[in-house]
Amino acid sequence: MKRALAWLLWLWMAAVIAGAFLYAPLAKGFIGQSSRILFFHVPMAWVSFVAFIAAGIWSARFLFLGRRPEHDRAAAAAVELGLLFGVLATVTGALWARVMWGAYWNWDPRQTSIVVALLFYGAYLALRSSLEDRDQRARLSAAYAVLGLAVAPFLFFVMPRIMFSLHPQSVINAQGKVEMESRMVQVLLAGSAGATALFFWIHNLQCRLTALSDRKSALEE
Amino acid sequence: MWRDASTWAAEALAVFAKEWRCEFRTRYALNTLALFAFTTLVVVSVSLGPIGVSLSQGTAVLPVLLWVILLFSAAAGLPRAFVQEEETQTAIALRLAATPSALFCGKLLYCLTLTAALELLVTPVYLAMTNLNVKSPGLLVAVLAAGGYGLAAGSTLVAAIIAQARSKGTLFSVLAFPVLLPLILIAVELTRGAVAGDPGGVALPQLLLYDAVVTIAGLMLFPAVWNP
Amino acid sequence: MDSAVSGGIGWVVAVNLIIWTGIFLYLLRLNGRIREMEKKS
Repeated sequence: MKRALAWLLWLWMAAVIAGAFLYAPLAKGFIGQSSRILFFHVPMAWVSFVAFIAAGIWSARFLFLGRRPEHDRAAAAAVELGLLFGVLATVTGALWARVMWGAYWNWDPRQTSIVVALLFYGAYLALRSSLEDRDQRARLSAAYAVLGLAVAPFLFFVMPRIMFSLHPQSVINAQGKVEMESRMVQVLLAGSAGATALFFWIHNLQCRLTALSDRKSALEE
Repeated sequence: MWRDASTWAAEALAVFAKEWRCEFRTRYALNTLALFAFTTLVVVSVSLGPIGVSLSQGTAVLPVLLWVILLFSAAAGLPRAFVQEEETQTAIALRLAATPSALFCGKLLYCLTLTAALELLVTPVYLAMTNLNVKSPGLLVAVLAAGGYGLAAGSTLVAAIIAQARSKGTLFSVLAFPVLLPLILIAVELTRGAVAGDPGGVALPQLLLYDAVVTIAGLMLFPAVWNP
Repeated sequence: MDSAVSGGIGWVVAVNLIIWTGIFLYLLRLNGRIREMEKKS
């Protein structure tokens, strides 16, 4: 059953890649083929956002619903993956910024948000690596992750609205109308859905691996 | 219920009083804050030069520097609230003696008063040294109050988290800055508005919302952080 | 990006699909290995 789902995911993402290059039109106002990178950048940024929220939710579950180690493992894995996807999103975003506006970095609000998210991930992992006692590590890093979740709305929504933005209008603007061509939106949404599924799959693998190694080291003690 | 509430308040105030009594014995935190703040102030003022900055540059840059000074001074002085407890091993006694929420509020009050003192010290001197003319002083006071609160509240919780870890000094900065950055950025925008004479300060409610969120998060998370 | 501009879009799609398939097969193998380890312990 799982294998079939995995192959379905492969098929889906292959369709997304083909669609990104062959089916979707080029975005208006962008130079040459550069807008294609959007179809990689947006899903990864989206997944990074999902990872942030997921880590916060798993951490809250850990703290308030029983202190179960699998929740702590899930939160840590989510942060690690969030960091990976976040770095990829930042790099693809910077490449695109170079092509479009001539500079890799502008500190426009969305770039700022992703960098602060990366700082959060790094801080979480730094905290974890500085604590040796397993229960203490789980407890304190979970608390920090929930604090991050609490602050996240300001990071992702409030700040970009307050500051002037070079970033292209997001898909749904203030009036709720869709600004981009529907084909682009289709590929973007499909890509984001596929990337999310991919994230949860890799996350599941990571959690199982950590569970096995935890069990092994517990046996060795 | 009212008796419980008043004992809780009495506990929080007792913690607050104890913090300041300890502080006055050594005056460590005050000295650290003051020294750091003034050193940074002097550096900023000297590097801007005797000629000063033009009006447009001033409006853009000077609010940022003010908040940088406040942020880094807070990072230098506030974490001691919890780190000191762990180092002097009084934390164990505190865990037995005080209710977590009352303890958190007491420490928060202490950090708030420290931050308020910092801002009262730094801001007038900064404005004088940089010759910055603020067109909406009311808004500036509001931003300093709301922003200072957020700074203190966020720092109190993070200080509690890192107090039990190794390498506490660097870890505090690493953990606190992502949490405080949205606050700082909003506060800087509002301060720019205050300097330029913006009457409304449209982002002020968001700042207050941030303060509320961080306070609630602190109250909810502190018991888990404090007690195993 | 230059190869895409000069009309070689087919190449870009092919390269992407190859990389994607490689990652995918690796994940499947990892899944299998973890399942083995879980059965052993």
